[in-house]
Amino acid sequence: MDFAPNSDQITLNSALDKLASKFASTPTEFRGFALVNPELAQELELGGFFDAAQIPELGPVSAAMMVERLARLPYTAEVALSMLVKAQLDRDWPRPLAVIENGRPGRFVAEAATLIILDGDKVGVISPARDAVESVDSLFAYPMGRLKKPLQYNPLPDAEAANIRKWLRIALAAEAAGLLQAALDAVTEHLTIRKQFGRPLGSFQAIHHRMAECTVLARGVRLLAIKAAWTGDAGDAAIAALHAQESAARVVYDLHQFVGAMGMTLEFPLHLWTYRLKALLSELSGRGGQAQAVAEHCFQ
Amino acid sequence: MEFEWNQQQKDFRATVRDFLATHLPDNWESIAHGPGSASQSDFSRQFCAQLADAGLLVPHWPERWGGRNADAWSAFILAEEMWAAGEPRGGQYMNVNWIGPTLMRYGTPAQQNRYIPPMAQGQTLWCQGFSEPEAGSDLASLRTKAERQGDHYCINGQKIWTSYAGEAETCFLLARTGAGKNGISIFLVPMDTLGITVVEIPSLIGEGDIHEVFFENVMVPASAMLGEEGQAWDIVRTALSLERVGIPRFALASRMLHRAVGTLKQHNRFHQGAVEQSARAQAACEAARLFSYEIIDQRQKGITAGPEASVARVATVNAERLVAEFVVEHLPESLAGGDPLLLAHHQRGIVAGIASGAAEIQLNLIATQLLQLPREPR
Repeated sequence: MDFAPNSDQITLNSALDKLASKFASTPTEFRGFALVNPELAQELELGGFFDAAQIPELGPVSAAMMVERLARLPYTAEVALSMLVKAQLDRDWPRPLAVIENGRPGRFVAEAATLIILDGDKVGVISPARDAVESVDSLFAYPMGRLKKPLQYNPLPDAEAANIRKWLRIALAAEAAGLLQAALDAVTEHLTIRKQFGRPLGSFQAIHHRMAECTVLARGVRLLAIKAAWTGDAGDAAIAALHAQESAARVVYDLHQFVGAMGMTLEFPLHLWTYRLKALLSELSGRGGQAQAVAEHCFQ
Repeated sequence: MEFEWNQQQKDFRATVRDFLATHLPDNWESIAHGPGSASQSDFSRQFCAQLADAGLLVPHWPERWGGRNADAWSAFILAEEMWAAGEPRGGQYMNVNWIGPTLMRYGTPAQQNRYIPPMAQGQTLWCQGFSEPEAGSDLASLRTKAERQGDHYCINGQKIWTSYAGEAETCFLLARTGAGKNGISIFLVPMDTLGITVVEIPSLIGEGDIHEVFFENVMVPASAMLGEEGQAWDIVRTALSLERVGIPRFALASRMLHRAVGTLKQHNRFHQGAVEQSARAQAACEAARLFSYEIIDQRQKGITAGPEASVARVATVNAERLVAEFVVEHLPESLAGGDPLLLAHHQRGIVAGIASGAAEIQLNLIATQLLQLPREPR
């Protein structure tokens, strides 16, 4: 057991921090939903970060840490599937990747070079034609897209399908961990500055307790996600994804309460993280789906 | 980051499990329900002596005091396995976790020689005289008074909700020798000292567990003071920081969750609602486990735990609660003549968020120390 990053991971994290710092500020004029800058993915590509998990000294744990770190940025890019799921596919499918779950709109679907199809119990992987997908406006703070019509695919063997679902769960948990932390950080700052009743909002015990509980949840998601990336165990993956979705539901509500009316506006960028978390809530069959997976893999 | 036990740690866990399998009697689970009861205390004296003989009672203590300088991980693996088994050490776990180490750090040679060897041999039970009727979470407002009279102190006052007091030989007592937080001192008081009266309080949490303890003109020599006069707050703060991750409650909670799910499956009662609730509880147990391991990892590296220990405590309370709620809702017979260890788990869970300081105090610490939110004006 060692909860500190190793020297290779520290070096990687430090390089990633440097890259991320260029994308750490929300443009003051931004009033939209999905904040995207293509340069983020380009720089990750150029820096070799998408391939880092394939280096034995780094591995999926490093990928999970990178996904968590990048999810804290106001800018979004398709990172989680490329870093944590792509290596599990049967060949070198091109990125960006996206998931179509039971025909619904999904994150990054319109620009994906590879689509993972989740269709009931079946899983397939395809390269969509450019005109097979389209963008869709959404409250979710990701670029959302959908299929124009159902696509044909070859269902993968059960074991391969289960493996992909497992790594999708780990990717979801790692991304949620970063989103939760960034949202908490933004609200913590607000609560320190914003005064009501003559003192900072963050000095009220009613808020202390709820913020502390949210912190416990967010930190738990991070540890569970990283552990699942380390073990590659299906039970650990299901636990991490379940805790991520459970925590997201609670934390998003509380944080918007603390920011009040400011959080309803697009000026205060809390939605960049909370509405991404809301997008993750329904994925992979939602909490009910993760609970079934926990029961299947952990209570034998 | 790594999440794998090394071979030495695996071997040590296997040794502890073997010991438990060999030494716990067949009826152990039916006597595990009253951690402060006479039967549990008698059993723990016998059991802890056997643990000591096997080198498994205080392995993390220095050799001088009967240990072998085992590392923080060994100490925690031992604690996990004991708690998961229903804590057959009874109240002696406190000796092992913090009373012994606190005496090693702050005790005089005479105090150490008198009190530590019986702990290392598994032969003695302590109680902690902390809470009072008007001083629960607000421990610093305690009123029990110790007045210097020549080379003695005269103690008057009342403690309450004191675990193990009915069976303990010695009390780790906090009493006021001056004003404010810096006016509290620690006394090591034999429970058979004239003027001490113990009254059991019937409770939800098990037979013989909590008590009122009255001190009426109790005379103790000045040499019974631990540390300096007025040093109690600093000493207790250090000691209790060990306790925040001292009891691996998630270990028994997780074991009982699996047992309850197994029973429900066996009787075709593991329906969708139970699936979802048990999965949430399982996730909470695993989160609590990782938070605790994170603190032990820091301890192993010589890093003093900060507010992260409070995070571990809150997560553990949450896990304990989710498992207990799951069992009550889906296997209610556990509280009505059913599995005695499920009942014992429920009863121990009741104190999880209260003993060693209310969990709400930990939430305050997380908010002000970890998040750095402004403190509430007083």
